[in-house]
Parts: sequence; C-alpha cells; structure tokens
Amino acid sequence: MASQDRLSAALIRAITVAPAPQPATPLLRVDGLSVSYGRQDVVHDVGFELGRGKSIALIGESGSGKSTIARAVLRLLPNGAAASGTVQFEGQNLLALPERRFRPLRGRQIGFVPQDPGNALNPVRTIGAQAMEAAALTDEPNAAVRKALILETFAQVGLDNPQRVFDSYPHQLSGGMLQRVLIGLAVLPRPALLVADEPTSALDVTIQKRILDLLSRLQQNLDISLLLITHDLAIAAERTDGLVVLKNGSVQEAGPTSAVFSSPASAYARKLHADVPALNPDRYAKLRDPRLRQHESGQAPKIEVSAVTKTFAVDGKVLTAVDDVSFTVPAGTTHALVGESGSGKTTTIRLLLGLDEPDSGQISVAGERVSGRSQQSLRSIWRHLQLVYQNPFTSLDPTWTVESLVREPLDRFRIGTPTERSEQVREALANVGLGEQLLIRKPGALSGGQRQRVAIARSLVLKPDVVVLDEPTSALDVSVQADIVEVLLTLQARLGLTYIFVSHDLALVRQLAHTVSVMRRGSVVEQGSVADIFENPQHAYTASLLESIPSGISATRPLVQPKQRRLSRQEQIA
Amino acid sequence: MTFLSNSALFGAQKGGWAESFRMPLVVVLSFAIIITIIAWSVAPQLFTTYSPVVGVPADKLLGPSTAHWFGTDHLGRDLYARVVYGTASSVSSALVAVVIGVLAGGLIGLLAGFLGGWVDVVLARLVDVLLSIPKFLLAVIVVTAIGFETINAAIATGVSAVAIFARVTRAEVIKTRQATFVEASFLSGGSHWYILWRHVLPNASRSVLPLAVLQFGESILVIASLAFLGYGDPPPASDWGLLISIGKDYLKWPWLVYAPAFITILTVLSVNRISRWLRKTD
Amino acid sequence: MNNAYLTYAAKRLGQAVVVILLAYVFTFVVVSILPGDPITSVLRNPQNGFSEEEIAEIIAAQGLDKPIIVQLWHSLSGFLVGDLGMSMRSNRPVSTLIAEVLPSTLILASVGLAVAMILAMLVAYGTRFVPKRYGQGLLRGFPSLFLSVPNFVIGLVLIHLFGFQLGLFRVINPDSFWATLFAAIALGIPISAQIAEVLIANLDKEAEQEYATVARSRGLGQARLFARHLLKPASLPVVTVIALTIGELLGGSLITETVFGRTGIGSLVQRSVSTQDLPVLQAIVSLGAVVFVLVNLIADLLYPLLDPRVKILGGQKRRPTTADETSIGPSKAVTP
Repeated sequence: MASQDRLSAALIRAITVAPAPQPATPLLRVDGLSVSYGRQDVVHDVGFELGRGKSIALIGESGSGKSTIARAVLRLLPNGAAASGTVQFEGQNLLALPERRFRPLRGRQIGFVPQDPGNALNPVRTIGAQAMEAAALTDEPNAAVRKALILETFAQVGLDNPQRVFDSYPHQLSGGMLQRVLIGLAVLPRPALLVADEPTSALDVTIQKRILDLLSRLQQNLDISLLLITHDLAIAAERTDGLVVLKNGSVQEAGPTSAVFSSPASAYARKLHADVPALNPDRYAKLRDPRLRQHESGQAPKIEVSAVTKTFAVDGKVLTAVDDVSFTVPAGTTHALVGESGSGKTTTIRLLLGLDEPDSGQISVAGERVSGRSQQSLRSIWRHLQLVYQNPFTSLDPTWTVESLVREPLDRFRIGTPTERSEQVREALANVGLGEQLLIRKPGALSGGQRQRVAIARSLVLKPDVVVLDEPTSALDVSVQADIVEVLLTLQARLGLTYIFVSHDLALVRQLAHTVSVMRRGSVVEQGSVADIFENPQHAYTASLLESIPSGISATRPLVQPKQRRLSRQEQIA
Repeated sequence: MTFLSNSALFGAQKGGWAESFRMPLVVVLSFAIIITIIAWSVAPQLFTTYSPVVGVPADKLLGPSTAHWFGTDHLGRDLYARVVYGTASSVSSALVAVVIGVLAGGLIGLLAGFLGGWVDVVLARLVDVLLSIPKFLLAVIVVTAIGFETINAAIATGVSAVAIFARVTRAEVIKTRQATFVEASFLSGGSHWYILWRHVLPNASRSVLPLAVLQFGESILVIASLAFLGYGDPPPASDWGLLISIGKDYLKWPWLVYAPAFITILTVLSVNRISRWLRKTD
Repeated sequence: MNNAYLTYAAKRLGQAVVVILLAYVFTFVVVSILPGDPITSVLRNPQNGFSEEEIAEIIAAQGLDKPIIVQLWHSLSGFLVGDLGMSMRSNRPVSTLIAEVLPSTLILASVGLAVAMILAMLVAYGTRFVPKRYGQGLLRGFPSLFLSVPNFVIGLVLIHLFGFQLGLFRVINPDSFWATLFAAIALGIPISAQIAEVLIANLDKEAEQEYATVARSRGLGQARLFARHLLKPASLPVVTVIALTIGELLGGSLITETVFGRTGIGSLVQRSVSTQDLPVLQAIVSLGAVVFVLVNLIADLLYPLLDPRVKILGGQKRRPTTADETSIGPSKAVTP
C-alpha cells in the first residue's frame, strides 16, 4: 500500500464542515424521509443511521424505494420528486441546504458509484477528461499532479494500464473495467461517505466478486462509510455492518447484520431469506429428488447432444460460439447449462431448438434428429419441444391479450376444436396459478411475474415433453423467482417434463437441477450430477465460479450466490 | 386548511373524465378544435348564413365585427363564410394525401422490411431517390405534370410523403421482426405470412399512426402552400391557402391574411398536439 | 481513417451516385410520361401563338419525336457532362437561366440557414438555462408552434409588421439589406423549429442519462454540466438533421421568393411551371437532388469522425441509439 500512502499525502481535504461534529453523532442520519413523485409515494418515513467507517445496506426488491433513498441522500432525485424529512450528514440537514452550499459536498464529501457502468460515463468524452473533473475536487493546484493522482488511483483499483484507460473512450472498455474507473473516481477525492447503487448487478458473477472485494478493501483502507444499495441479501450480509430491509418504500426491519440475517423478526425479511436460493439449497428437494431416483434405472435419454460445434463470422473474424459440446438428458429430469455471458449457452439452446444449424455434430430430441431439417418438419418437433424466454417483457406481443397469446400455439398447430382450445387455455393458466380474470388483459397490464407465468402457460399448453428454460427468472425479483421455480417444479413432478435450464446462477441450479454442464467460451469444462459438481468441482473455472459466490456471514456455513439481473454486453466484448 | 382541501377537491374534479383516458386538457381542446373543423367541412351551411361566393359590394373590406366575424373581402364576401366553406376541400385533400402516403409508403416499407434481401435493396434505393428530391419541389413537378387542381395537389403531396412512411414502416418492421415475441410465435408454429399479418403489422402500425396524424397536419400546410402559389382550384374556391394568397394583395386589411392563417395554424397545431399525445401514450 | 471507414465512404459514395442518376431518371419520367402531355398542350395552346411549323421545329429541336428511351438517354448523357439542354420558351441554355438567378437564391438560402441554426441554438440551449417559471415553456413551445405555421404566413406577417407598419423595407426593392434579411428570417424560422425540436429532445435525453447524474454527483453545476457533458452529445446528431433540411431550404425559397417578390431559383420554377418549360424544371429538380445528396453524403462521412460513439461495422454506420435516431426525414417527422 505504498502507492496508497503517497496518494493520501497528496490529497488535500478541501472542506471542513463546521462545527466539528460530536464524536457520538453518526456520519449519516436519515429521519422520517418520504419521497413522492406527484401523488405517488415511493418512500414513506424511512430512518437509519450510518457511523463513520461503517457500512450499511439498503435491501429490497424492485419498487422498494431503495434507489430513491440513495438519490435523496445525494440530492439527485429526478425533477418532479419531492422529498421531506431530514438527511443529516455530519450534523447538517442536506435536504434543507441551498444548492449553492450543497454542491461543494458532492464528490468531495459524498461519492457515488452507479448501477450500470456502461451508461455512467459520457460516451463522447475520454475517460481522462471526466477523471479530471473528479481530480479537480481535490483542490490540488498542479494539473500534472492531478493527472498523476488519477493514474495512481486507476492502478489502485486494479486497472492494468492506467494511461491507456485515461486515453480511452468509455465504449472501448469492458463493464468491469468501467466500474473500476467509476469506483476510482468516486474515492479519489476521499469522500467520507460512498453511496453505491447496485454496483455489480450489471456484471458477470466472477467480476461481481472482484468489484465487491475492491469496494470492501477501499472502504476499510480509506476509512470511508459505505451505503450499499442491493437486492441481494447474501451480498449485503457478507459485506456490511447493518441491514435495512425495505418493501414498498417502508422499512420492514433494520439492525446489525448478524441479528437481522440470522434471526429475522419481520415476516418480509423471513420470506426474503427463505427465497434466496443460496441460503436454501434444499428448498425444493421434495419436488426434485424422487424423479432423479426413478431414472437412475436408465432408459434412452430424452435429449442427446453430441459433439456439436457452431461458428459465426463477425467482422471477418471467425468466432467459435459452441465448441464440441455434448450432453444427454434423461426423461423427466432437469439439465442445467451454466456459464457467464459469452459462454455459448444461448447458442447451444438455439441449436437444440433448430433455430440455428450446427456446423457439425448431432442433436436429437425424443429420438428425432433436430439438425438438418426443413422448417416444415421442425414444426412437428416444436409440437413437443418448447421454449420459455429469459425476458417476459419482450417475449409476449404487447398488442395481444393473454387469452390469444396462450391460445396461439393451439391455433397454429390446430389442436382440438375451438371450444376445447378455450378450455385448454384456462387449464394452462390455472396450472401456472393465474385466474380467468386475466384472460382479456394485455401484457402491459401484468406484472413481471404474471407475464412469465403467461409465457410458461403458453409453452405448456401444447403439452410438450421437453421445455427449454432460458434464464426464466433472471429478469424477476427473488421472491417472484421462488414462485416461478415452484410452479416449474410442480409441473415437472406432475407431467413428467424434461427441462433444459439455462442459468448463470449456481445457487438456483443447485436448488432445481439434476445434472449440470458448466460452460466457458463455448466449451463444456465440466459436467455431471449437481451434487458431485457442487461438492467436488474438478475444473478450476468451476471452482472459481463457486468461490465468487457471496457466502453470507462468515459465521454461517458457506452460502451460494443468488441471482443477478443482467449480464453486460461489454463483458462479452472484453 | 379549508382552502387546501377545496383546491384538492377541485383538482380531482377537473381531472375527472379526461383523466380517466389520461388525456391532458390541451389534448381535449385539440380534439374539440378538430371536431369543429370536421363539422365545418361536413356541413358548412350550419355554421354561417352568408354565401361564400356572392358578396355585397357595398360591404367590401369591412373589419371584423359581430356581423362579420373575420370581416369581408374585396368583393364584400363574408370571410368567415369563405373560411368555413373552404374547410372541406382543405381538410379532405390533406386526408387524401395522408392515405396515399400511408398506403403506398406503408406497403413499400412492409415489403422491404419483411422480405429483406434484394427486394429491400431495390425498394430502399427507390425511397432514397424519393427522399433526395426536395419534397416541395417534388410536389410542384407532380402537380405540374398532372394539372392544377386541389385534388392533384393532394395527390402530389401524398407522393412526396411516400418516402417518409416507407422509411419509418421499414424501420419499424425490421425492429418488430427481430423482436423476441416474433420468434416465439414462430416456435408456436406460425408461418411467415401469418406472423407478418398478426404480429409485425399491428406492432409496426402503432408508431405509424402518430406519424400519419402528424403528416395530416403537414399535408394541410403543403397543400396550402401549393394553393398559395396558385396550383390548386382557382377562385371562387376558398381553400385556406388560396384565401391567404388573395389576402396578401390587400395587406392594408390584414385580417384577410390573419383570419385564414389563424384557422390553418390552429388546426395544424391541434393535429400535432394529438399526434404527440398518441406517441406518448402509445 | 482506417479500412472500415474507407470501405464505408466508398460504399456511401457509390450509393450517392446511383441515387443521383435514379433521381434524374425519376424526374424525367414524371415530367414526360404522366397523363396530360404538358408539352404539346402548351405548344398547341392558342395563347402561345405557335404556328404548326414552329411547333414541329421545337419538337424536333428538343428531340420530342424520338422514342422516350432515346430522349432519356440523350437528356441523361447531356446531364452527365453538364449540358442541361435548352429552355423550351426562351430558346436559351438552361444553365444560363439558372446561373442568372442562382446567386440571389444562394444568398437567401445561406442567410436563412444561418438564421435557422442561430435561432435553434438560442431556443434549445435556452431551455437549459431559463427556469420553468420564467418562460421555459415558451421556448419549448417554439418548435411545435412554428412547425404549424405555413411559411408563407411567416413572410406575410413579417412584411406586414416590418415593411408596412414599421417601414423597414419595401417589397418593391426586394434585394435591399432589410428585405433580404427578413426573407431569410421567414425562410429560416420553420427550419429552425425542426432543428430546435431535435436539439431539445436530445438535450432532454442526454440530461436524463446516468452519466449526467454521475457527473452531477461529482459536484458539477448546471452550466458546467451543460458545457462539458450535454452540449456535444446532444448537438452532434444535429449535423445530419441540418443536412436533411437542405431540401426544405430549396422548397422554402420557392415560396419565400414569391412572397417577397425576389428573383431566384424559386421564381424561375414558378415561371417554368406556368409556362410548362419542362427542361428547366427537369434541370432544377435534378440539381436540387444533387445538392441534397451531396450535402447528406458529406454529413454522413463527417459524422463518424466527429462522434466517437459511431462504429463502422461491415461497411455500415452503427451507433447506440440517441434521441434523433434513424428517422428524422427531410420533413418535420420525428418518429417515436
């Protein structure tokens, strides 16, 4: 940490806030904070405290108001939002300060790390030009020294070639690198408080861990207080001193992490705890395990993929998306394809569905060859082989009603009489737990969880044998995810379905899959039963995936990582 | 306190039915204006007792008054009556132009976007060519070729709008064609033409509708400009553009320009406001 | 200046040439094939007083007795070497007729464009600094109002107010400084409304981007945020919008010249339309297309060099979406 000391020496704290706060005064104290957009309240009466050098996490699902609270603290609420209550920072109420007096605190005293690094830097200016803005906050008079500070900071946050980063435009760097840049810029002026709004949810799992490690390290070394906004209970439990659990804009429970995490008092915190896959590996064991035993007796596999390779030409270069991939899936079981973005898992299922043709290798489903078929004969395969898409916000035609959406496959494949079709639609919706009152709604009037249920009903209405699930819960909140998984496993137990489950979420895979293939850069690095892989990973990459999973509190037994939301495109490019 | 709750109550009532459609007041007003304009064009005789053709020479060039809302022209004709009777041809010709633009442009865009390949290349070049000729010049040469009449001016305006609709429809079709729900329908056994008809067209048309409304306002302006240059029906027709054109020779009596201009602007402004609202509500 | 850019430039150049040639053919077809046969109807119009021999002479001179394809070939090959043919009415070369009136229109159009750009910037950038209660709404209303006003009305209002009422200029002397300036203002206002609309939309969009929030979190005030972060990304796409308004500028000058009684390309078009002088119309429309295509070609070639967001892949320009995206046509259409 020699560079660290030099950096600290060069930095000049510009602002000293008078009067000097009492030692007992917390750095940040939020009291009775309410925020509303027009007539809509998004945060009601929220209060918490954050001490110097401590860290606290605001946890909640979408709509919980956690990000709004962060923005209220930073006074970066969008136009039209009204905040009331107090936000005391070193004893003064930020909400009552005039803009002129608050602005000097921004950056210098309160730093901000945003959610989506790909969008957080101006695309038409170099990173260096924007870094100089942050360096200007140190009040170092010499521009050359300021630049040296920036380069040192970049090195400190783990960027290999600081000068190159300085000269780059944002689109030339990967998401992980951009997030390092942003963290560097936030800590460079040495703020007392760092607000990090879901700093890793746009990144791949392994990069996620490294960024969180970096944040924790900087927080401790530089003695910064951290306000971490996250949807991820396991991450919060692992990395912060205090937890504030939010739902619909209100605090459900708050306290020291150990207390809230190990013995949650509120019903919502308990449910949240129970829904995180990492914390409950055996939650669905009753639904899952009997099927595996049945099939150990052995019959012809439902799905056989053997030595499949697929290349694409991108910009004159040949990219091997899938490289010699093989796996088999027994009927009635779930096989998981696990990997980070760019691992080839999506291409693999497109080949499996016949949407793309493999360059070599063979795929058969229920004994029928998929590859090399005409479109007409693919239709007969799709009669028994269906797909549930990752994002229910794009996979349902917004101009159609729920009824016609679920009915479309029946109409297209001309199954039964019109009256029978109507009945089957109702049955399929009932299977996924949706009532008839939704029949005439359009997707725009449904919640994310309802949409994904409609998408599942639509796939199952044909009574297929095999369903390919392409990250079916990654766009959904953790409690909605738990409901959807329950629906899927119940249907599998009842109808004997075979699933291909694509995911980047190892914890979720452990909960519901029987067998697994771990993919990386187009190849399978390891495959086998879930129990074997998780207990005894053979390949270093599998081990690193398992390691990169937050383990909750160190006192409890090792935990596995719950879901993340999106995978960044930058990571694929990098 | 009383004041506060009262005003809140008033606000709630004022929102009332318009808010149940989530329609701002300006949009309601715009619809009211457009409905009035349509009524003028359908039944002008209900709105004025004056004749648009026969004037009273003694009453020429009178200023606006309660008897003559917009004043009178150089032949003593009531200008309000002339505007009202000129509405039908001004509005319906704009409608003709939009229909031509939407149908021809929409078809070109749909085929180019959905079929792709060489069809797309050929049609895209055609659209580029149409775009490359300045719109108003294009309208002028088309109307020159087919003759000076308001209906021909409308056709010319429509032709000059084909490229825009083709381009937007093509972009929308390509966007929709790549949508996940289109592939989902394909996996559900839908054929190409079925998908084009049931998925691509409805979704693409959602953004063509506001554009068509916008183009309606634009067409009113272009047709008025053609009429202003004398490429529409000759007097005694009273198209808005023609009225302004006649008025420009009598600038001492400015209402002859300002009154028909005001109605034109109000109409186009309302149409544009509705288009913007449609685009926002989607 | 890498390989991808050169490929892209070559491809765009080729497209431009093809489009210009096709535009010429298209215009030719419109003026010669459509029903009504304007040529003979004009020539045989008793008012024009041509004798049968004269008609035959004109028809032979213009090659009108030949098959249409031959006429097209003749006309197109002339166009390619810069020969625009002879006027049917005045028996003078079309290029001479155009050259006589071109300077006046060029002055009008360039001053008009300058007015449009300055006004658009004032209005759009003003929305960032004028607070809501002091008339920001007025600035925001500017584009939609002036997109709804026929441009001849703007000219007439200016003449009425500044010519008749204030006596700043007289229509009898259309080339005076004030008359030219007000003609340019009349021409520029509708175009500035289009540019301002896109600029305002872009500024609003950029201001909502996460990077603007992050920049504010570094303590930047409104003015520095605007100057350092919003100005460039919001203004760059306007380069292509301005190029697209070139067509409007030409069409608008036709009307503006009529309103202000100026001589120029517009009045030449007017005269040629009323006398059905097709070679002149053909030449002006084709030259209009040439100007439009070339200006847009330059804008398209320049843009990737200005905006680091643009990447050229497979000979095509690609860019992450910004507010203007693909479709601000040469009309006022801003697609959703």
